[in-house]
Amino acid sequence: MALVHKLLNGSYILRKGLKPSVAACPFLSTRSADYCSSSLQKPVATPGKASTQRTAAGGLQEDQREVSFDKAIKDEIKEHFRRLKDEIVNHWIGPEGRPLQEIILEQARVVWQFRGKEDLDKWIVTSDKTIGGKSEVFLKMGKNNQSALLYGTLSSAAPQDGENSQSGYCAMISRIPRGAFERKKSYDWSQFNTLYLRVRGDGRPWMVNIREDTDIIQKTNQMYSYFMFTRGGPYWQEVKIPFSKFFFSNQGRIRDAQFQLLLDKISSIGFTLADKVDGPFFLEIDFIGVFADPAHTEEFAYENSPVLNPRLFK
Amino acid sequence: MSPLSALSLRLCCHPPGTGVMPNKETEFLLVQIFGRKSYPMLKFVRMKLWFSRFKNINPFPVPRDLPKDPVDLAVLGLRHIEPDLSARVTVYQTASSKDSTGTADPTQQHIVGIQSPDQQAALARHNPARPIFVEGPFSLWLRDRCVYYHILRADLVPPEEREVEEIPEEWNLYYPIQLDLKYGRGGWDDYEFDIDEVEEGPVFAMCMAGAHDQATLAKWIQGLQETNPALAQIPVIFRLTGSSGELLASSSGLEEPSPPPPQEQEEEEDHTQRQQQGQS
Repeated sequence: MALVHKLLNGSYILRKGLKPSVAACPFLSTRSADYCSSSLQKPVATPGKASTQRTAAGGLQEDQREVSFDKAIKDEIKEHFRRLKDEIVNHWIGPEGRPLQEIILEQARVVWQFRGKEDLDKWIVTSDKTIGGKSEVFLKMGKNNQSALLYGTLSSAAPQDGENSQSGYCAMISRIPRGAFERKKSYDWSQFNTLYLRVRGDGRPWMVNIREDTDIIQKTNQMYSYFMFTRGGPYWQEVKIPFSKFFFSNQGRIRDAQFQLLLDKISSIGFTLADKVDGPFFLEIDFIGVFADPAHTEEFAYENSPVLNPRLFK
Repeated sequence: MSPLSALSLRLCCHPPGTGVMPNKETEFLLVQIFGRKSYPMLKFVRMKLWFSRFKNINPFPVPRDLPKDPVDLAVLGLRHIEPDLSARVTVYQTASSKDSTGTADPTQQHIVGIQSPDQQAALARHNPARPIFVEGPFSLWLRDRCVYYHILRADLVPPEEREVEEIPEEWNLYYPIQLDLKYGRGGWDDYEFDIDEVEEGPVFAMCMAGAHDQATLAKWIQGLQETNPALAQIPVIFRLTGSSGELLASSSGLEEPSPPPPQEQEEEEDHTQRQQQGQS
């Protein structure tokens, strides 16, 4: 995916024209948050030398740009083969490169931590600017590089495009884990049953969304969500949400036929703020983990009702 | 779907934000107008179902009608963020009422502080050689109102200097003083996360004030000194973002030696400045 991205961007420099990066993303839907939109503060990655050089000699320009383009391609190919080699080697050690007994006995796993800039690269930040709204959102490292701070301003002024009557949302979504040659990988959390977040908010209610692996194409618009209420205050807050509480929604609407979240192929997690209250907000996240709560035996919190879904009860 | 039912559906869409529960009268009206198997009726059933499921999921509920009085709002906010229920809220100063002409601003802003007995004990034990900081303002949203609070905290003590408190065993024979119950079911259970959590210095007190300048906060510190006499010996540094920046003030006029240089800036500096501009 990034290779295709680089190819397209490299080619537009040679052609000296401008193509919007949106064209590179085939699946861009207006309703659900999209993975392809780059975060608001990180520009599209082009070969560094090419963008900064503005020499008068046109021919020299072309040559230097071509050289760096080739170098970028070579680096990318090397990186992918290295990942492939890692995958093959890790297969012999155990799932995901860790020995099998460690994986089986594990009862608490840290999935995302925020201890450095490279941890921030695993997240994409979106807001309703994509549909023309006015909210802003930024993500940066917090104090002492020990946490991530998601902050910004929410504005529910609807964009005047005749199509949207409501607006005002901000979201932070994790990137889908990629393997060699940008194949999509997924998380396997089948032995855990609770999501654990250590956050510090400002009293606003957030929504946690989990998306499953999109090997079935309909799953791109489906997600499981639940609410996360922050307390505010200077103390760190532990939020434990069992996976049985997540309700199913398709195309942004809660559906009548509810089923529990199956944990064997999770692709990404996201936090959304859309509480229709204008103003600045912040959320500091220490880490995100999953653990197996032995006291939680519920399988699914919502039962289907025969009024809404008579077919299920025939 | 007829235009009438579409309009009624859109009207029904508004409640999700306000937390209004549909009731029997609405159901009767909908059945009379649209029928039992119509789309508005379906939407009504869905709303009833999902709103009743999500009615009580907030572990930190905030009352729907927030108090208008800023002192009451500050008390509510401080109680909201302090998990210790035995904390005491003290109103140091109430906002003086406006003049009859209504032109002048209130001369004094309200100052409300909160401190729990544990925090009081920690402050009494605090080493006077280390300064404590007044940090703020941080924002707290209660439904749709934003209030700002300041905290009084010290930096983290490095592990070498931390003193371990030893509790003598069994000085009370009626019930155990220290109960070490493990969550696990056996020796193989390990529910700890493999990460060092963020550690921050202890918080000694919190306050909400009408103004965010140093003068108001100095009054709060003076008010705190009545219940914490040890505070008089400790240098207090004001780390206020968005106002005058780093300033050193020593409490109760004691002459303190030159202050230690400011170590790290608050990371929320940028956005609190934006908040200050965005705050109505």
